[in-house]
Amino acid sequence: MSESILKTEKLTKTYAMGKRKIPALSGVDLQVNKGEFIAIMGPSGSGKTTLLNVLGCLDTATSGTMTLNGIDVAKLPEKKLYSIRRNEIGFIFQTFNLFPYLNARENVELPMENTKKSKGERRKRARELLEMVGLSGREEHKPHRLSAGEQQRVAIARALANDPAIVLADEPTGNLDTENKHEIVRLLGRLNINQGTTIVMVTHDDQVASHTERILFLNDGKITREKQGLHLMKKKLICPHCGSRIQPTDVKCSSCRKKL
Amino acid sequence: MVIIALGFSMAIMISIPAGIVANQEATQSLTENFNNTMSNMQEQINKTATLIECRASSGQSMYPGAPSGRPPSGFGREEVFINETVGDEIRSIEGVKDVVPFLEKSSEETTSETINTPRGSFTISRPLYTITGVCLNSSFIDNYSVLPTNRTAGRNLCEGDSGVLLMSLNLTQYFGVAVGDTVQINGESFTVVGVYNSTGQGRTETRTVYMGLSDAQTITGETGNVSRFDVYADDASDVDGIAEVIQAAYSELSITTYKDRLSQLQTTQEMYDSTLKNAESTLDQTQTTATQEIGVAVVATSLIVLFVMLYTVRERTREIGTFKALGFSNWNVMTQFVLEGILISLMAGVVGIAIGTVAAPALSSLLLPHISLFGSSSQGRFRPVFGSPDSGTTGSQTAIASLNPQLMLLAFGAAVLLGALGSLYPAWRAARIKPAEAMRYE
Repeated sequence: MSESILKTEKLTKTYAMGKRKIPALSGVDLQVNKGEFIAIMGPSGSGKTTLLNVLGCLDTATSGTMTLNGIDVAKLPEKKLYSIRRNEIGFIFQTFNLFPYLNARENVELPMENTKKSKGERRKRARELLEMVGLSGREEHKPHRLSAGEQQRVAIARALANDPAIVLADEPTGNLDTENKHEIVRLLGRLNINQGTTIVMVTHDDQVASHTERILFLNDGKITREKQGLHLMKKKLICPHCGSRIQPTDVKCSSCRKKL
Repeated sequence: MVIIALGFSMAIMISIPAGIVANQEATQSLTENFNNTMSNMQEQINKTATLIECRASSGQSMYPGAPSGRPPSGFGREEVFINETVGDEIRSIEGVKDVVPFLEKSSEETTSETINTPRGSFTISRPLYTITGVCLNSSFIDNYSVLPTNRTAGRNLCEGDSGVLLMSLNLTQYFGVAVGDTVQINGESFTVVGVYNSTGQGRTETRTVYMGLSDAQTITGETGNVSRFDVYADDASDVDGIAEVIQAAYSELSITTYKDRLSQLQTTQEMYDSTLKNAESTLDQTQTTATQEIGVAVVATSLIVLFVMLYTVRERTREIGTFKALGFSNWNVMTQFVLEGILISLMAGVVGIAIGTVAAPALSSLLLPHISLFGSSSQGRFRPVFGSPDSGTTGSQTAIASLNPQLMLLAFGAAVLLGALGSLYPAWRAARIKPAEAMRYE
């Protein structure tokens, strides 16, 4: 049976705008199992980003419970949340949020500061991660010398630095062209299959969402609908395009030659 | 820009202590100078307890405000002479041990000098040197200080010398002569037998030639005349009585005794004291001003750091949000920004030291009250009554501020402290930013 990594019950979040109270989340029940690749979709203002911020401990819920990797985080004070963010969560942002004055490797090493890893270990880990996202040889490049897609790969490597229980991605393809968009989604899919990384991704792009295995629809702060995505087929080692058998390490389907 | 502005306030902060230190040093050296002069004078007075100085005078002092001692030689001096037979008469007064006659007259040769004063500069013409005729009696030479003692070359004058002289070092340079050479004094040839050091305690110098009394009388045309008697009593207790008798008999003599000299010394001491008091009060005032100015500079520096860091924190809100999303604690963020503030003010410290090294004297003289206790007072009035005849007491000293390693170290310390102080609040603000809000911030 698959193991739950993130579970919320009746999660609510209300913003106070003067005297008016604006509900952003009104009772979200969500369970993410280990190794899942989930997309959250919904119109703007539906609470996607708020949900992701609460799930990522960047924001605290007004009420409800939330368990992350066995830890009850809903009531933790800010003082303790930072170590949860460091050790349990990897963030990927729409605008990449790389530090322009650090090179790719240093950006990836950054979350490993204040951990027990030695300098050498951090460097080795950063190199491995950059190789995993297909950026070997670009380690010493500053972000401005990398393309948008490459910058997002660095950000993905950075999110994985501390081996988080869950990766949260907020519109990771929102600032990318079509080609790079698909590259990034395929990269996330491969990481999910090959490394077993649990990923929750917010997007408003149907195509991007269809490459995940489960799509949740958020409306007015509630999950209203759920749908299966193509990724589930890949996980069952079936090509979603022609239905023939594939290998977990395949990049292209051997029968229809389409990219996986 | 910011760093240069910070650098300036740092430079001000370090230039002011530099200026104060310089002022303190100047005051201290002035005090030492005074004390030395005073003790020298006291010593001289003690040595000559039995001396009654009788100077031929017209009965009026040329210097109303000055102590009635010997006016500066050769400068605006009224030269009055008295017949030398008066000396023999004084000699016959009971209790008088010796009477030593002197003839002092300005040379015919003159020199013009430009004198700079705070009120402008003017040129005066003064005699080039003083001719002093000394009674070359070997017991006088041995027992009393009738000839200069600080000889640098040649021999002293001795009994029976004629056609020879003792010359001050500066005059040998002027004439271009050395021991054994011949020199023309008022048209007569003299052989230089000795040279003495002409430098007094201050920067003033004596320009005097010493020769036998009769030689001096001959070349100055004052045959049978002298300008001064040094009367020595048998015992110090007789001095007052003898002085009274002499004064009664010869009203044209201006008489100075141990007591007079002592009271002059006191007058001088009082003047020194008031000058020093002035100096000290100026110094106090300087320090008060300096404290205020340093305070302003410190506040300015901290404020600059504060605003720069507040701006930085605003500019980098998203970055701070990212830091927090990556698992950096509030403490991490705060120390990061405090360190950045310290770095900025350290750079400013370097700039400040650079500016300070170049501009410390200018800055400190611009910002501190001037100490004006030197200058005019040193030349005219503050002249020891005796000692080497013409020595001034103080050279005019200027307080020049300069940076030393301690001050530079201090500047770096101040930079670290103010950087930390100024960035504390912005860093705290940065630490308090909520990550979710920071990520929304554009």
